[in-house]
Amino acid sequence: MFRFAPYVLKGLWRHRSRTLLTVSGSAVALFVFCVVGAVQQGLARLTQDQQALRTLIVFQENRFCPASSKLPEDYVRTVSKLPGVKDVVPIKVFTNNCRASLDVVVFNGIPPEKLRSARNLTLLSGNWSDFDTRTDAAIVGQAVAQRRRLKVGQRFTIGEVSVSVVGVFRSHVPAEENYLYTHLDFLQRARGKSSVGTVTQLEVHLNDDADPDRLASEIDAQFKRGPVATSTRSKGVFQRDTLADLAELIGFAHWLGYACVGLVLALVATTTVMAVQDRIKEHAVLQTLGLRPGRIFRIVLAESLLQSLAGGLLGIGMGLALLAWGRFAIGAEGVTIAFRPSLDLAITGAIVSAVVGVLAGIVPGWQAARTEIVVALRQA
Amino acid sequence: MALVEIRQLTRQFRKGDEVIMPLQEVNLEIQRGDFVSLMGASGSGKSTLLNAIAGIDRPTSGAIVVSGTDITKLSRGALADWRAANIGYIFQMHNLIPVLTAYENIELPLLLLSMSAAERHKRVEIALDAVNLRDRANHYPRQLSGGQEQRVGIARAIVANPTIIVGDEPTGDLDADTTEQILDLVQRLNSELGMTLLLVTHDPRVAALAPRQLRLEKGKLIEKGREVTVVHAELQHRSA
Repeated sequence: MFRFAPYVLKGLWRHRSRTLLTVSGSAVALFVFCVVGAVQQGLARLTQDQQALRTLIVFQENRFCPASSKLPEDYVRTVSKLPGVKDVVPIKVFTNNCRASLDVVVFNGIPPEKLRSARNLTLLSGNWSDFDTRTDAAIVGQAVAQRRRLKVGQRFTIGEVSVSVVGVFRSHVPAEENYLYTHLDFLQRARGKSSVGTVTQLEVHLNDDADPDRLASEIDAQFKRGPVATSTRSKGVFQRDTLADLAELIGFAHWLGYACVGLVLALVATTTVMAVQDRIKEHAVLQTLGLRPGRIFRIVLAESLLQSLAGGLLGIGMGLALLAWGRFAIGAEGVTIAFRPSLDLAITGAIVSAVVGVLAGIVPGWQAARTEIVVALRQA
Repeated sequence: MALVEIRQLTRQFRKGDEVIMPLQEVNLEIQRGDFVSLMGASGSGKSTLLNAIAGIDRPTSGAIVVSGTDITKLSRGALADWRAANIGYIFQMHNLIPVLTAYENIELPLLLLSMSAAERHKRVEIALDAVNLRDRANHYPRQLSGGQEQRVGIARAIVANPTIIVGDEPTGDLDADTTEQILDLVQRLNSELGMTLLLVTHDPRVAALAPRQLRLEKGKLIEKGREVTVVHAELQHRSA
């Protein structure tokens, strides 16, 4: 097969405008496929990873936006005593925008001594001692730092909240890199907040043998008659519920991904059919020289595959580069979905391109292979 | 034993309600080293016979035995392999692959044979020398004259050292001077290299170069004014 590689490559080069247009179309489609895939992976990471399943979020009942959930901070003590609970982290959430946004800024106020045990963060710049000692200190996820061009030593103000950036961190959980962490009491006392003694939510970390559903029911039962009733869900479910509207959109967007695949299929198939129709006589000559119909079929398939794969890899490359560079995230009500490039996505995209390339070549390849030599040779 | 034995070859086409039969129980033997020309009016069936011998068209009935192989019984794939090893085809319109250089066009048939790159290179060089086109090896068909293109076509036909070379009006698209050069080349293939040739032509001057001249008339093959009627010993035996 490789002996005919020059013929295949030169054939594509002969009609370079057509090839280029096909490759471009395939690239754009796979670019969109990749970005849509990244959004879906981001949502799946939030709702399905192990940490999301083994952690509970206690929120005020019938409240949705972080600004409206006000739980008494002393709920921490009550929840901590429940069997199966490893740790309870009170969190005050402040966000510049409760609605869906591509540039949402989310402050999480956490007791500094709990931050390092509850989150696996690695400082890329700055230091922890500054965070521990300065009450207005904030460490910033690298995604939001890049988007907002934040560096250690800068002050950063959103609404009534003004913090000093003392560190930039990365996390193995991409969504975390869209948050800013401050001291809990700082965020509670921030001008205009006056919410000392209340928190937005409790993050409950469970022992390995604890039953999350049972504990969630126990917590809600505990506070049913309390000053503030709660709604407790696993972190995954909480995030899925919070992002329900976005999740619907994202669910719909996966059809966009399939549409892109269909587009590439139609595009590459059309180009390949045109290429075959242009060369009916040429294929007859090749058969006269002794090429088997199967080899003609494989040559056409190779042309189709190359175009699809070249465009696909280009589109995947552009998509992953954009995702890596842009560190995009979409957030709503204090929860963000990070769009990250991944090897999975690259491999899936490459496989989709290859499969589409092969599928697109089957019919034209079959036509070329079944060419009646004498009839085709008579063509002008 | 003849190199090519054609027995009771019939080819018929259907054109609407009409049945056309350009070949009617044609018999022919071609010996190794023969140079045969085949003439006939347009539509007489000369190209049909040539294509059947070349294995690119299937007869309606009859047998075509080349070097002991009845090619009418071969599958499509096996027939392609057989063509690669046994047939050198010279087209009227050259039919070079436009994206390949002269060298690559000549090399094409060799890519189908089990052969090292060095051996391929050697054979292509020899073929280029034979058609006196070594200096045009890296030219594309569009950069060659009609005569040069046909010489590349001839080089492509002879490079794999086929059992038989067939040509369908190989000078039909060339001017008089170039025709002379091509005919000289074709003659040398037979006289110097001993290649077996079957040329279809409508030009009596071209046909006259061949020691053996055939003519197709009304579906019958005529040689020296008489219908060619070769009766194979095996067929005689069967009929007895």
